[in-house]
Amino acid sequence: MTDNDRTAYLDLDTKDETFLDATELVLNMGPQHPSTHGVLRVILKLDGEKVLGTECVIGYLHRGVEKIGENRTYAMFNPYVDRMDYVAAVSNGLGYCEAVEKLLNVEAPPRAQYIRVILTELCRIASHQVWLGTHALDIGALTPLFYCFRDREEILKIFEKYCGARLTTHAFRIGGCIYETYDGFEQDCKQFCDAFLPKLDEYEELLTTNRIWVERTKGVGILKPEDCIALGVTGPVLRASGVTWDLRKKQPYESYKDFEFEIPIGLNGDTYDRYLVRIEEMRQAVRIIRQAVDGLPSGPIMAKVPKVIKPAPGEIYHSIEAPKGELGYFIVSDGSTQPYRMRVRPPSFVNLQALDKMVRGLLVADVVAVIGTLDIVLGEVDR
Amino acid sequence: MLDALKSYLTAGNTPGEAGSMLWATIYILVITLGISLAVIAMNWLERKILAHMQIRLGPMRVGPHGLLQPFADALKLLIKEDIIPQEADKLVFWMAPVVVTMTAFTTFLVVPFGRTHAVTDMNIGVLFMLGISSLGVLGIIMAGWSSNSHYPLMGALRSSAQMVSYEVAMGLAIVSAVLMTSLKSGTGTLSMIGIVEAQNAQQTWFIFKFFPLGFLAFAVFAIAMIAETNRAPFDLPEAESELVAGFHTEYSGFRWSLFFLAEYAAMLAVSSIAVTLWLGGWMRPFPNWLGGATWDMAFSFVPALSLFVLAGMCLLGALRMPRIPQMRIQTVGLAMFGSLLGFVGLVLLVPAVRDRIQDIFWFVAKVAFFMYLYIWYRGTFPRYRFDQLMRVGWKVLLPIGLGVLIATAIVGLFPQLTSVMAGVTQ
Amino acid sequence: MSLKPLLRKVFLVDLIKGLKVTFHYQPPSQAITEQYPLERPVIFERFRGQPRLKVDPDKGNSLCIVCNLCALACPEQLIVVKGERNPVTKRKEPVSWTYDLSRCMFCGLCAEACSTDALELTQDYEMALYSREGMVLDQAALERGQEPVRYVK
Repeated sequence: MTDNDRTAYLDLDTKDETFLDATELVLNMGPQHPSTHGVLRVILKLDGEKVLGTECVIGYLHRGVEKIGENRTYAMFNPYVDRMDYVAAVSNGLGYCEAVEKLLNVEAPPRAQYIRVILTELCRIASHQVWLGTHALDIGALTPLFYCFRDREEILKIFEKYCGARLTTHAFRIGGCIYETYDGFEQDCKQFCDAFLPKLDEYEELLTTNRIWVERTKGVGILKPEDCIALGVTGPVLRASGVTWDLRKKQPYESYKDFEFEIPIGLNGDTYDRYLVRIEEMRQAVRIIRQAVDGLPSGPIMAKVPKVIKPAPGEIYHSIEAPKGELGYFIVSDGSTQPYRMRVRPPSFVNLQALDKMVRGLLVADVVAVIGTLDIVLGEVDR
Repeated sequence: MLDALKSYLTAGNTPGEAGSMLWATIYILVITLGISLAVIAMNWLERKILAHMQIRLGPMRVGPHGLLQPFADALKLLIKEDIIPQEADKLVFWMAPVVVTMTAFTTFLVVPFGRTHAVTDMNIGVLFMLGISSLGVLGIIMAGWSSNSHYPLMGALRSSAQMVSYEVAMGLAIVSAVLMTSLKSGTGTLSMIGIVEAQNAQQTWFIFKFFPLGFLAFAVFAIAMIAETNRAPFDLPEAESELVAGFHTEYSGFRWSLFFLAEYAAMLAVSSIAVTLWLGGWMRPFPNWLGGATWDMAFSFVPALSLFVLAGMCLLGALRMPRIPQMRIQTVGLAMFGSLLGFVGLVLLVPAVRDRIQDIFWFVAKVAFFMYLYIWYRGTFPRYRFDQLMRVGWKVLLPIGLGVLIATAIVGLFPQLTSVMAGVTQ
Repeated sequence: MSLKPLLRKVFLVDLIKGLKVTFHYQPPSQAITEQYPLERPVIFERFRGQPRLKVDPDKGNSLCIVCNLCALACPEQLIVVKGERNPVTKRKEPVSWTYDLSRCMFCGLCAEACSTDALELTQDYEMALYSREGMVLDQAALERGQEPVRYVK
């Protein structure tokens, strides 16, 4: 498929001689670009500086994870799942383990559920920190990136102490957790929460009321709630447009029912609202972590799961609220040790489809801001 | 020979005024060397200070604490392959960095480092500096055009539009300051040395004159000068995360380093204008409040003291280096650098040198403060989008500049107005 | 606009607040850079790094009993173990034991599956080599553990 076929629907004028005569310009934001958050190719059709249409070309990071899933046993597939959304690996593992547990009809014991929630919320903060740093960098503020990665470092240290790896954590197992909390886990989490909230206030001081930031993000990339629902957009993008939908409240999983927290909802659906929603989500995550650490029950951490996992033939779709949106696993089992079909519904892939709607009429400089605000990770988009 | 030196050292005017070509040439050479050294220092300072604001360390390896990093960068740029795009307009491609660099350096002809420490004192000094820096815009357009690629061209056009817009605001602010020079003597002056002398005569830095008018004019100029030099938060034409990569995309190696040199020299030039016009040029702080011979002598020790502080920091750093064999050379190097600074400080303690060096030191210190502000802004603020940038230039700074100008004129003329009114009513 | 927001806008209060934050982080004591290789990071106990085959400290023989569970558990099938039964001690001893480090993703499933706790992932992480040949570890290499090259005496 040549570029001409791919961009045919954009109705490009091919008669013009020089680019100075042309009213439309096709610009290629190539796979290697500092601001596309990975290997994403965006073909822009411009009229001067205004964007008339876009086309995203993905697949540069496709590794065949779903096909690999058809050739590994359920327990063996666990490490591969971390590598999809590599920024927030723990939540991928959570979604997968929960999906298989549902297929097997087992439930993780309460202590394991609390540990999972603590680690997942820490992972949510870590993912939002990466988002904040890179988004601010795209808009031109150089320093929040380093501050955010400093906080992320603390979280990764906790992950390393708990399960042995910082990024590709492989923290959970089917049926619960294999690692017991280490000595000092509760202190570390509490210390992190206490140290983190003042830092979040500092980031807000740097950005939230800064007139340049507000001008760059307010009114940019507006997505209306109807469009969100029509496109299937989920996560903070959906909530910033005003739709009250969070899977932790609407379809509670793990032990989220036990915790008190709020879901921030935005008003306008622009970039500024998405920024505010994610900052508030980080605050609520700290709240959840504090409650979970205080109420950590004792007991076993692993449910009774057979050594060889052979679920009965059937299919299941289970989704969780990952930091980027609704992460879903659709597993079809044919009764053997390896799944028949392992389909992952990545939030970034679906959210990326909203890019075209959001950038029409914006300037070129805003495209970068909008890609940043969608919070995509190409590992997830391409799998 | 010695007599010539003595007569020069006790002269009361600049070499240009005295008509001495030899000394003027020497001054030009010294200033060119000084600017290059300043740019090298700025490179290191920017990387280190920006890094510390971002809670990291910056270059630490190349020399002790990265002190040799600028030299390594310069060497690398010099020995790089010289790539010229095939369809590029070769003559214009070659000329563009030359134009930009030469205009940036030429503005320093009238910058006064002291009463007699300028190459020459033109009676249209400020106008000369503004005009020559506007010529630099031509160099940028030449660079964008000759690269034969639409991204640099768009970047060059954007850059030049930005610079031209903010020059208007700069001009208005400068006129406000020039207006103030006429208050005591009755005639204003555009000469840089004349402006500082006016501040001396009126016993106040113009930034504090007719508060808040002087401060507002200074603020307008301070913001406009950042946009003029394409620095954050107005650096969209240069930003790496934008699609249009800026006018210097196709330039590599030494040609690019010339653009880089020109950018920092332009920063130094507009900072010099700001220091001369509003911050009292080479005058030491508090000349009236802390006046008198003893205070003068106390302040004259400050240059030497500051160098001693720097030397002390170097030696402390050398003491704190890790004591392993790989770091020996660095430790020795840092200690030697610290000793060199200390030695220069000692030289500055000699009375004859002390008096001559005073003006230069205070001028350089104030310009250094502005350089720090540049780096601070780069580390803190996000970037303006191009249309917002133009809006700030035309719709915010220009009206404020105009208002300040009119207000300064009215307030400045107030004594004469009242006497005229009294005369009319009588 | 009411007075307070107007004053904040005119006096650039938001910009000054941002400047204060970056100013505050300037002292070098705030820098979090770890100057590797002069300063090494602290590695925690559960870190999944270089694999290692443990040896019984008293008797000197390998703890591995060639149960093959690690090879079955590995998602990439990069462990190949062959052993034979020792008639004297009546336990299986490894004859050839290979571990392909180039495809390993350090998931730890092999160490979890090991029945005698012979295989463990240590805290070593400096595994860089100049060629692929050294990446397939045999039993001797696994028992030795990691040997970083020292460049300075």
